[in-house]
Amino acid sequence: MNPQDLLQLFDERAIEAVRPLLALSAGLIILLLSGVFDGLKALRGPIVVATLLFGGWLTASNFVTQPGVVLDGTYSADRAASAWGLLFVVATLLAWLFSHHYYAEDERPFQLEHDVLMLTTPIGMMLMGGAQNLIVFFVGLEILSIPLYALASFRRSRARSVEAGLKYFLLGAFAAAFFLYGSSLIYAATGTVQLAEIKAIGIHGPLALAGVALLMASLFFKISVFPFHLWVPDVYQGSPTPVTALMATGTKAAAFAFLLNAMFMLPAKAAVLVAVVALVTMALGNLGALAQTDVKRMLAYSGIAHAGTVLLVVAGTLAGDPESGGALHAALFYMGAYVFTAAGAFGLLALLERDGERFTSLESLKGLAHRRPVVAAALTLFMLSLGGIPATGGFLGKWMVFSSLVRAGLIWPAVIGALLSVIALGYYLRVVIAMYMQPASDRDAATQSVRGASAMPATLAAGVCAVFVLVMGVLPSLFLDRLP
Amino acid sequence: MAEILFYVLSAAALLFGLGVVLAKSPMMSVLSLLGSFFCLAVIYLLAGFQFLAAAQILVYAGAILVLFLFVIMLLNLGELGAIAERSNSFLDSTAARIGAVIAVGMGVVGLAAASRAAFQPVRVEPGKGLDGLEAIATELFGRYSLAFEAASILLLATMVAVIALAKRQRRGLKNGGRA
Repeated sequence: MNPQDLLQLFDERAIEAVRPLLALSAGLIILLLSGVFDGLKALRGPIVVATLLFGGWLTASNFVTQPGVVLDGTYSADRAASAWGLLFVVATLLAWLFSHHYYAEDERPFQLEHDVLMLTTPIGMMLMGGAQNLIVFFVGLEILSIPLYALASFRRSRARSVEAGLKYFLLGAFAAAFFLYGSSLIYAATGTVQLAEIKAIGIHGPLALAGVALLMASLFFKISVFPFHLWVPDVYQGSPTPVTALMATGTKAAAFAFLLNAMFMLPAKAAVLVAVVALVTMALGNLGALAQTDVKRMLAYSGIAHAGTVLLVVAGTLAGDPESGGALHAALFYMGAYVFTAAGAFGLLALLERDGERFTSLESLKGLAHRRPVVAAALTLFMLSLGGIPATGGFLGKWMVFSSLVRAGLIWPAVIGALLSVIALGYYLRVVIAMYMQPASDRDAATQSVRGASAMPATLAAGVCAVFVLVMGVLPSLFLDRLP
Repeated sequence: MAEILFYVLSAAALLFGLGVVLAKSPMMSVLSLLGSFFCLAVIYLLAGFQFLAAAQILVYAGAILVLFLFVIMLLNLGELGAIAERSNSFLDSTAARIGAVIAVGMGVVGLAAASRAAFQPVRVEPGKGLDGLEAIATELFGRYSLAFEAASILLLATMVAVIALAKRQRRGLKNGGRA
């Protein structure tokens, strides 16, 4: 390749495609530099918001202009990737808003590092979502994971937070090693790590299949699917709640975006296996959640169940869903609704949580409807959406997933999946019952004072989440008509 | 000749690898790792990747292992006996056995798959080759330019993450603990 060819790689289309990444990186560096001057302290918040909004705007413009696959076929900025990209930016912005004033006074000195790390994650997610090459995906995965390892153990004075970070780091490092080993086997079998070229050559022979199996194991770890889900409850519960919100929404969406791009590697025969894995995941998540008394831990198990539900989409596609793009629609809409719902639910918990873990327990939510009626109403809405009650975004997402399965001829997984979703209502409604029908114990009522104006950003974010959950449920065509 | 050398070196690299895991003292582990890296570097040379071989020695054997040695010496980790005695030996040995079974299983799967697979030859354009700086640079700044540039963000994020986790928190300072 001579210099002329190299220059041709970076044509206008390529620049256009990577503009969101460049904007986020630039904002990240400006934020880091602003930490040098104490006088700029007040500007840090606006810098984070402006960077995310600008990155989101550029992603939205990519959604319209569709630069397509660029840079020698390694990165794609088509409609689907841009839609996922918007979701990543929104998830980060919500998590950041919820982190505002979440940390106790003595943890604030690290606020700048916290914000920088949080602003790094959407860059990694976008690289993962748009990757058409295993190496590009891997770099994106690490850009997402390493800040999350640190963020998970950000409350260094708490043993649980440190434990969460360490567990996530060790297991995540193993998953990364699996991914690299799998990629190397695929490279040995096909001679390429480019998705399009692997597709053209095809996955034949045991070497390539072993590689695909290892690759999928690491992806399943990131989306927390059975049997790689065991880390989720401890890590989600131990991490600071806004970070948990980011992990539950962003990481999962990014890994799914790539899984949908890479699922052609799975043989069609694997459809039943994937369906069984997804159903077992749903069952374990839902049954595990039933036994919890801590709402944060319960939401972690519920996250496992939701990952299983979205995985059913992959099974449907492998089994031959006749509607092209059906899987992408279902996964995008489901994850879109889940981002707003889960971020909202975790965010409200962060808002309620003042000190110590006991404020995320079911016990402390008792009688919340009397003390803070608006918060209780919003939390109820999120619980109903997670449970898949009609007129919320969660219902339509589930309906799209199950109808994709039925179209593909996988009737029994759809039936079992729907039944398992009903079990889930058991624990979502328990939260609602605690808030509305059980009186608060005096001790809790006395210690919970109303917060001042510092809760504004979090309240705003929760409001946005609630509006989107409702609009996605009532006027889904607003979103569905624009999907790729 | 080259083939015999390859097998000898591969066996040596594997033995050194076992040494890393099985050695009693961390110092011996690090030295075994060094041996393994050197064997790999010579294998790269045999395959015609001069630059990779040099980079392997400079970066891994030179920089990273020296760092390992510093950490072990500074933290005085010379003997792990005390730690090993304190930990729950039953759980440890069970976990170690399960880990060993998984590792051996993965190795067997990899070997079996490799021996039965028809390798696709790596496509090398005539006259270009894969060794040499120019070819590697062309790949790095051509097809992999995005991943290459993104790696800088990764390093930056890692640096911030490490500082955030390791920085000492000073209580009672007005400027928020920054020294």
